[in-house]
Amino acid sequence: MATTAAHVPRSSTRAQRVARKLRPVWFLVGPIGVLVALFVTPLIILVVMSFQHSSIYGAEAGFTLDNFRMLFTDPIYRAVAKDTIIIATTAMLIQLAIALPLAYFIAFRAGRWELFMLLLLVLVDELNPIVRIYAWRMLLGREGVINDFLVWIGLIDQPLDWLLFTKFSVILVLSTSWVNYTALPIYAAMKAINPVLFEAATDLGAGWFTRWRRILIPLAAPGIFVAVILVYIPLFTDFATPGLVGGTSSYMLGNSVADLMVTIGDWGGGAALSLLLLGAMAVIAVIAYFLSKLNQLD
Amino acid sequence: MNAVGGKGEIIVDRVTKTFGDLKAVDDVTIEIPGGEFFSILGPSGCGKTTTLRMIAGFEEPTSGRIILEGRDVSFVPPAKRNVNMVFQAYGLFPHMTVKENVAFGLKVKHTRKAEIDERVAEALRIVRMEEFAGRRPAQMSGGQQQRVALARALINRPAALLLDEPLGALDLKLRKEMQLELKRLHAATGTTFVYVTHDQEEALTMSQRIAVMKDGLVKQVATPRELYESPTSAFVAGFIGTSNILAFTPDSWRDGMAIMNLDGGDRICGLESAGQKAARIIVRPEKMRVWGDADGELLSRVRGAISDVVYLGSMTQLIVRLTTGESVTIHELNDDLQGALPAIGDQVVVKWAAESSFILRDDAALGDPPAASD
Repeated sequence: MATTAAHVPRSSTRAQRVARKLRPVWFLVGPIGVLVALFVTPLIILVVMSFQHSSIYGAEAGFTLDNFRMLFTDPIYRAVAKDTIIIATTAMLIQLAIALPLAYFIAFRAGRWELFMLLLLVLVDELNPIVRIYAWRMLLGREGVINDFLVWIGLIDQPLDWLLFTKFSVILVLSTSWVNYTALPIYAAMKAINPVLFEAATDLGAGWFTRWRRILIPLAAPGIFVAVILVYIPLFTDFATPGLVGGTSSYMLGNSVADLMVTIGDWGGGAALSLLLLGAMAVIAVIAYFLSKLNQLD
Repeated sequence: MNAVGGKGEIIVDRVTKTFGDLKAVDDVTIEIPGGEFFSILGPSGCGKTTTLRMIAGFEEPTSGRIILEGRDVSFVPPAKRNVNMVFQAYGLFPHMTVKENVAFGLKVKHTRKAEIDERVAEALRIVRMEEFAGRRPAQMSGGQQQRVALARALINRPAALLLDEPLGALDLKLRKEMQLELKRLHAATGTTFVYVTHDQEEALTMSQRIAVMKDGLVKQVATPRELYESPTSAFVAGFIGTSNILAFTPDSWRDGMAIMNLDGGDRICGLESAGQKAARIIVRPEKMRVWGDADGELLSRVRGAISDVVYLGSMTQLIVRLTTGESVTIHELNDDLQGALPAIGDQVVVKWAAESSFILRDDAALGDPPAASD
């Protein structure tokens, strides 16, 4: 049945409409091209290198699994891996212990100081990491600020040796690195929680611990998992911190990669280890992602 | 009348609450006997929600006391008071199922699992949500969430249930249904209900008594009928139902009636003793007559012209501009009408019985009364 508007001509042809819909896609050609060039390509090179013998004289053509074999059989790498896991996991847990109350405070209790505290949190990590880690060396050394202070107030007679160049110092410095990346996603998740829920829980008789356990943490969990994904990986693969404050006793996998590639010149081994680390981190990220979705299962 | 301390009895005793310079609640006293459905009614900002929150324990009174079942609970934290609240946005825990939500209050008290299961089933049955036990709040409509919130509160068998404008987010039909549902729940559980709203029709529908508040003060506490038929202030008269408010300056008195004579034989009569000064007279729309008859000892009559006609099925609403310059709203039953509806511009005579009106002293503290056609 013809309507009264049947004679009005259509505003555009089908071809024109399709072209218009695809227009936004053209913008992506540039960025994707850059991404492919600068990110994917080196990754491919890394993969190729890991399957090749190489030394300071260059890489040999061919395919070999020797690099991977070396990494899995040489006991030194197993020991370093164990140390790395211990150090990184401990640092991560300490960071969470700091970040959770901090995020809670900023999200719910800061009032008009909220924006200011967020700014502080962001500024905390603006400092060049190397400079920051060096500052820790000043603090923790035998003639450092902390030892001087402790001797001065009479708590100890001799400066403490174990403050620097031990696992303790590496864990300590790692615990305070990237805390803003830990705290911010948790803060964001907490902000999304409707405050009425806490009142409802209180009304039903819940004390502060129950409110934390049953309301706050479960609802902030997605933020906690994002924080872990963001921070655990840099913690695990860091080499600057153990290099500068770790001394000989705390050697992490990141250092191994650096050694393999720079000191020994075994680019194949270095590439292989990098790939393994990448793979392990990807597995962790996927696990964390699915754990965070647990909340939303029907 | 029960002695003080009966089950579910709430007394708000001369409570004031100030936030900085603002006096949100000003020397308010309300006594609610156990088991009553009591509403606090008023416009936004009148202090009704603050008062409710003080009963719940989320705010502490600046002065005065909150007495629950004979005990002074003014500074007792909300977790420890035997009252439960239904919040405006329901506040259901999104990461828990309906069953877990409803069980929360009991879980907090470390109740045995068997008892929890039993009482949750009972609570869901009372609000008729048994099949929803496994659902999540996000999968339910507003009305359904509302009922779960009610179950979650009532399962704790509180002395009183506090409701903070819970029906605001629902559409009209659902709201009417839930109003009746709440009345039913109240009758079934015998719990004291304290209901806060700005919707006077809602308050009139459900409550046994209503406290009308404005600017932190309680204007009147009475049954719905008393509030409608005998308001004690222009504010209450204007807030509850529709009122016509006319200036009234009597110039003669006879037989207990004060009469204000107008031009052309018109007059307004009111029940007054002699010698009172200028006031306002209030007449409800259904008491005024244009085509029907008005009976009474002495009739008020004023001529006017119709400025609007609205046909409402069983009745017609007329807006008439009187010769005094004021406009009045009239509700006339269409049953009494013979012939066609009057038209805009028709000259009519508005009549009403003096006994159907009531006089208010000019209350300058209340400010101007709201417009007649509310």
